[in-house]
Amino acid sequence: MTTFALDTATPDPALAIVDGDDVLAEASLARIPGGGRRVLEAAHDLFTQAAVAPADIDDIVVGVGPGGFTGIRIGIATALGLGQALGIPVQGASTLEALALGIAGEEARSGAQGEPVLVAPVIDARRGQVFAAAYLVGPSGGVEVVIAPAAWDPADFATALAAAGPCVVAGDGADLVDLPASARRAPAGAADRVPAVRLVQRVRAGGARPVAPEYLRLPDAEENRLRRLREEAPA
Amino acid sequence: MGDVVLAIETSCDETAAAVVHGRRIVSNVVASQAELHSVYGGVVPEVAARHHLTTVNAVVDRALDDAGMGLGDVDRIAVTRRPGLIGALLVGVATAKALAYAARKPLVMVDHLHGHVAACWLEPLALDPPFVALTASGGHTRLDLVHDYAAPQLLGQTLDDAAGEAIDKGARLLGIPYPGGPGLEALAREGDATAFDFPVGLRSRGPGELDFSYAGVKTALLYATRDLGDHGVQARRADLAASYQEAIVRPLVDRLMLAADRNGVPAVSIGGGVAANGRLRELVEAAAAERGLRVAIPDRALCTDNAAMIAAAAAFTPAIAWPDFVGEDAMATAPPGGIAA
Ligand SMILES: [Zn+2]
Repeated sequence: MTTFALDTATPDPALAIVDGDDVLAEASLARIPGGGRRVLEAAHDLFTQAAVAPADIDDIVVGVGPGGFTGIRIGIATALGLGQALGIPVQGASTLEALALGIAGEEARSGAQGEPVLVAPVIDARRGQVFAAAYLVGPSGGVEVVIAPAAWDPADFATALAAAGPCVVAGDGADLVDLPASARRAPAGAADRVPAVRLVQRVRAGGARPVAPEYLRLPDAEENRLRRLREEAPA
Repeated sequence: MGDVVLAIETSCDETAAAVVHGRRIVSNVVASQAELHSVYGGVVPEVAARHHLTTVNAVVDRALDDAGMGLGDVDRIAVTRRPGLIGALLVGVATAKALAYAARKPLVMVDHLHGHVAACWLEPLALDPPFVALTASGGHTRLDLVHDYAAPQLLGQTLDDAAGEAIDKGARLLGIPYPGGPGLEALAREGDATAFDFPVGLRSRGPGELDFSYAGVKTALLYATRDLGDHGVQARRADLAASYQEAIVRPLVDRLMLAADRNGVPAVSIGGGVAANGRLRELVEAAAAERGLRVAIPDRALCTDNAAMIAAAAAFTPAIAWPDFVGEDAMATAPPGGIAA
C-alpha cells in the first residue's frame, strides 16, 4: 500500500511517499519561491528519488489546512487531479493535527516519553492573526482537541493557552504569540514544519477529513456583506 | 482529423472543461458562478477561487462523460494560464498539471485571449484567416489581426475599462442587477439611442486610432443621472440605457470596420461576453454587409468564457512534453501585445 502525502497550507510544502510503515521518500522544502505553486515539481523530484511512478501510488492524503488559502487550494487541486487521473482515493487530514503530531514526536525524541503531551500548533495566518489549536497527543498518536482550531488574535490565543495548562508550542506562527508562563516554545526547527508523514498517520488512526479546505475565515467580501446585513437589521 | 484535446478554463467566474477533436467540439461543459457573485455586485476573486476548487473535477468528469471518453483517449491536456484572477487560474492550472502528470500526457498552457480569437476556428464557423477579431468582455476589449491562428497581432485595445465592465457599471447606475448586460440591453430596446449624447473620447486618426476608452462615457452617465435626479432618471431610464449602450457599442463597430478596411481582410469576427449583445451584432452585420465582409460570430456559449475555445487555441500553441511542465505556473497578466505563448 503506497501512499502519497502532500501539504501546501504553509509556505513550506511538505511531501512524502509512504509504503506501509516505511517512509520511501520525504521532503520538507525550505521556503521556495511561489510556495505551493511549485508542489508538482517537488512531487516529481520525490517520485524520481524514490523510484516510484505515479501509477504505483495506491492512495493520496492531502493537508486541508488551515493555512494560506491559495496554497491549500493548490494542494487539494493537485491531490484531486492526481487521484482523478489515477482512479485512486484521496483523503484529507488537518494540517494543524499533523503539525501537532510532529511537535509531540519531536518532544518524544528529546526525552519525554510515555505521557500524553499538550501541544499547540500555530500557523501564521497573516493580518496579525494565527491559525492555532491545542491538542492532547497520546503516546500512541491519539489526538484529542483541547482548544478548537480557529483564526485567533495572538493575545486571545495566549489567554486560552494559559487556561489549558502546561503545553509545548511550535509552528511558523509560534513566535507571533506572547506565550504565557505555562507554555514552552519548542526549539525552532523541525517542530515548526508540517510533516507530511503525519498526515498519513492521522488518516490511518481514523482522523480523515473531507477533502475540502478548512479556511477558518470567510472571504473579505462575504465578511463585509454579513456585517452590512447585521447593521441594516432592525435592532 | 487532428488530435483530441481536453481543456480546462478557470480564469474568472466560469468553471469549464471541454473535449475537442480537431475542429469539432465533442463536449463543452460550463458551470457558471454568476449567481454566486450577484449578491456582491461583481466577481469576488476569493469566492471564485473557492468555487472553482469544489467544481472543477466534476466538470472535467462531465466533459469526458459527455464525450464518451476517458483520459486515456485524450492526446493532450490544455489549460488557461493567463490572464485572469490569479487564485482562480491556479486552481485550473494545478488540476490540469496533476491530470497530465498522472496520465503522462503533454500539457498546453494557453492564453485566454488566444482562446477567444481561436473560437472562430471551431466548426461550424470554421473561419480561416485572414480576418480581424474583436474580443469584448468584462475583462478585455481588443482588436487582433489574424493571418495565422498561431500568432494573432494586436491592433488596438482599451486604455482603461473593458466594454463589458463599462456595461456592468452603467447598468448598476441605472439600478439593473449584476450581471447588467442582458438587463441593459432589454431596457435599451425601449429607449431612444439618440436621446443623450454620451461622448466617446477617442482619437480619430494616427497612432492609437484603434484603441478604446470607456472611462469617460461612464462618468458622463454618472453626471447625467445626477442632473436628472431620481425622478428624472426613473422617467428616462430607457433613453439613458439606449444612449449609453450605443456609446459603448458604436466605437467597437467603427474600429472593427476601420481595422478591416485598413488591412483589407475579407472577414471580421466578434467574441467575448459582449458579443452576445444584440445591438452590437446588428450594427456589425449592417456595417459588414455594406463592405461585403463575412461576419463570424460564434454561438453564445462559445463567446462567453468556455473551455472549447481553450482547446482551439491549444491547437496553435506548442505542447510541453511530460514531465517538463511540472514547473509551469499561472500568471495574472499577459505580456503586452502578443497573446500567443
Ligand atoms: Zn474571456
